[in-house]
Amino acid sequence: MSAPILVCEGLSRSFGGVKAVAGVSLALPAGQVTALVGPNGAGKTTVFNLITGNLRADAGSAMLRGRSIMGLAPHKVARMGVARSFQDLRLFTHMSVRDNIRTATETSAWFWQPGGATARRAREAATEEALARTGLLELAEARAIDLAYAERKFLSMARILAARAEIWLLDEPASGLDLASRLRFGALLKEARRQGVAICLIEHNLDVVTELADRIAFLDQGQVLAEGEPEAILKDPKLAAIYFGDRGEAA
Amino acid sequence: MIAYLTNLAALAAIFGILAATLNVAVGYAGIFSVAHAVFFGLGAYAGAQIALVLVPDALVAMLVAGLVSGVLSLCLALPALRVRGEYFVAASLGLQMMATTLFSEWKTVTGGIGGLTGIPRPHIFGVEVGTLPLALAALGLILLATAALMRGAFGRTLRSIRDAESAAEALGKNVAAAKALAVAFACAGAGVAGALFALHMQFVNVESFNLDQSVLIMAMVIIGGTGTLLGPLVGAVILLSLPAGLAFLPFIPATEVGAVQQMVYGLAMTLLMIFRPAGLVGDLSRGKSTA
Amino acid sequence: MLFIQLLLQGLQVGAIYALTAAGFALIFGATRVFHFAHGSSFALAGYVFIFAMQAGWPWWLGGLAATLAATLFGIGVFWFVYRPIQRHEGSFFTVFVAAFGVGIVVQNLIGIFAGRGFASVDTSLSRAVEVLPDVFLAQVFWVAISVACLLFAALTLFLTRHNAGVALRALHQNPDLLRAYGLSSTRLSLLAFALGSALAAPAAMVTAMTSGMNEAIGHQVMLISMAATIVGGVGSLRGAALAGLMLGVAESVALNFVDTQWAEAVSFLVLFAFIIFRPSGIFGIAQAR
Repeated sequence: MSAPILVCEGLSRSFGGVKAVAGVSLALPAGQVTALVGPNGAGKTTVFNLITGNLRADAGSAMLRGRSIMGLAPHKVARMGVARSFQDLRLFTHMSVRDNIRTATETSAWFWQPGGATARRAREAATEEALARTGLLELAEARAIDLAYAERKFLSMARILAARAEIWLLDEPASGLDLASRLRFGALLKEARRQGVAICLIEHNLDVVTELADRIAFLDQGQVLAEGEPEAILKDPKLAAIYFGDRGEAA
Repeated sequence: MIAYLTNLAALAAIFGILAATLNVAVGYAGIFSVAHAVFFGLGAYAGAQIALVLVPDALVAMLVAGLVSGVLSLCLALPALRVRGEYFVAASLGLQMMATTLFSEWKTVTGGIGGLTGIPRPHIFGVEVGTLPLALAALGLILLATAALMRGAFGRTLRSIRDAESAAEALGKNVAAAKALAVAFACAGAGVAGALFALHMQFVNVESFNLDQSVLIMAMVIIGGTGTLLGPLVGAVILLSLPAGLAFLPFIPATEVGAVQQMVYGLAMTLLMIFRPAGLVGDLSRGKSTA
Repeated sequence: MLFIQLLLQGLQVGAIYALTAAGFALIFGATRVFHFAHGSSFALAGYVFIFAMQAGWPWWLGGLAATLAATLFGIGVFWFVYRPIQRHEGSFFTVFVAAFGVGIVVQNLIGIFAGRGFASVDTSLSRAVEVLPDVFLAQVFWVAISVACLLFAALTLFLTRHNAGVALRALHQNPDLLRAYGLSSTRLSLLAFALGSALAAPAAMVTAMTSGMNEAIGHQVMLISMAATIVGGVGSLRGAALAGLMLGVAESVALNFVDTQWAEAVSFLVLFAFIIFRPSGIFGIAQAR
């Protein structure tokens, strides 16, 4: 196994006395899919927010290729190669599909982008490639708000593809997808894995987890209860009980 | 009659600049400022002082006015842009109120309530020029610059921030910097319009830079259509012809024309938001937001 | 002695600010509507009260009419303006512009029908007597303070004891509940608008009896309410009320040091200071975006 690209240790964060995340450690190696699994309110999205700088951690560290990304603004973390998706997608609703993706390749906030014509051609190429890989070529000129549900999810993935990040944090990317779309999504993810992207996904559908994940980290009440191969984790009756809402306190 | 139309056309061009530049902030970047008249005023006072004290050169006056307004807006926007959208509106409203007080009290620079009078006619390199061609040229240039910027990467960045700020951030965009630039661009444009206004009217006072004026400019953008290139221009022309149009209606007493005019655009703003949020020009679903 | 005089005056103005700000914060917290036409409720109530008193109505009837006017206006704006916009998923921006338009219309209607410039009610309550050497106080001061205290006590009771009040508070703390309890949200919103707008009425009446109304007062009230809501902290009723009181006192005490026209600016200086140094306000909680 290759050395992990992103290593988090002891990440903690509480809200008004409630510990949402309490000492989570996580390592994301290149070319591997890690699934964050756990009941609602386990702190999965909060872990993402702590890594991306959307939330400030009370304690803990996050190192990207040996450099700390703690306390950095979200856009700086993103520029270092961490891309994320949102559960509610947050597409640029009134822009065309192509502009949604194109803007993901343009990170400078200045009046113009650096790099001149060569860089522009590279950005255009990345945009077209992302369109093709997500099957959105024919919808390139449609506005995001007019897309069907599955297409919106693929647009959210296309933005991440175009951003050329080496770490993907995906928040329920496959939820609500029909079988055909799920298969297409699976293919997309496997190709990224082959290209060496370190992927971490939050997922409720255990079939999707079994099919795609190389490792599972099981979160409950802000802590990693168990980590390991999908087979082992999913067979653990204690974890299953927590996952399905029965805490073993049955009367 | 020709003089009347020339005057109206010059004013339409000046307010066209104001509406078009405010649209960069409101329509593209989703930054809602009700203080545009403040930067219009800053530009007007700066331009007037240049013409009165230094040299009546229109280019110098416009350049200095644009710089003054742009730089000051940057200083004000950088802290204010940190708050959520709702509160930025509040902050800009507060700024507008304070600036009105400042404009009427800082007599050495603004001439107080009486204003600045006797502003010389504009020259370019020593040759006297009319304000209408000057205003039209400035409007043309600003529209060109706006179109170029908004069609390019910067425009996409602003629109992405407007639609989903956190997602734009997650894609590596420095949201604060982009917003501040958009504000500076918009306010520098307002400054240029201010210098033109001062040279055109040859007189400026605080009346032209109060909250009512900010609201008027805002109404032009909204009624014409946010996020489109030509919408604000259409809005500017409609709202500027409104007083003349209302004056023809015999049942409105002359003293109430101003109030009726304000009511017309107030009502137009409310009804448009309910039935056609995109404004007169602009596609229908704009203004709905799912982000 | 001047200082004490200004402090007392500030408390009176602050009580008025606290009431309007609390109404605004209540509406914003429960419905997420940035009720920009809140100032119009205030102005309408004030003018109805003035007209009622000029027509020789007893004060309680005038007060009732004013409260009714503010409440009905608030409900009306919600029902005919905000609700249709929210139904087509209007953004903050859309709601704001629509409310702003309503504000402009109301201001000019008042200007046309009630005339421009100051209008006030002269009662025996507003005549000042010397309570301390060189400190003058009108009875209306006690009215303002006690009305504000009574209303806040009643509001607190309602929000903590009554079912509907508890539901409103829950919406405050977790706006997602609004969606989860989709069915009753319209009724709760109506309640929030009715209550919030009604709170503006007593404040408007006291203003009509003291400093007087003018047609543009809605803008100013709106500004103060927003400033107080921000300074107090997002979604905190207590914060908004306290900040309103504070701003009133600050404005008044500032007269000790600066000219009248600058005193108004003090509120905005406080607002800017908070925006720069403590954007989450006094009682605000930093939120994840």
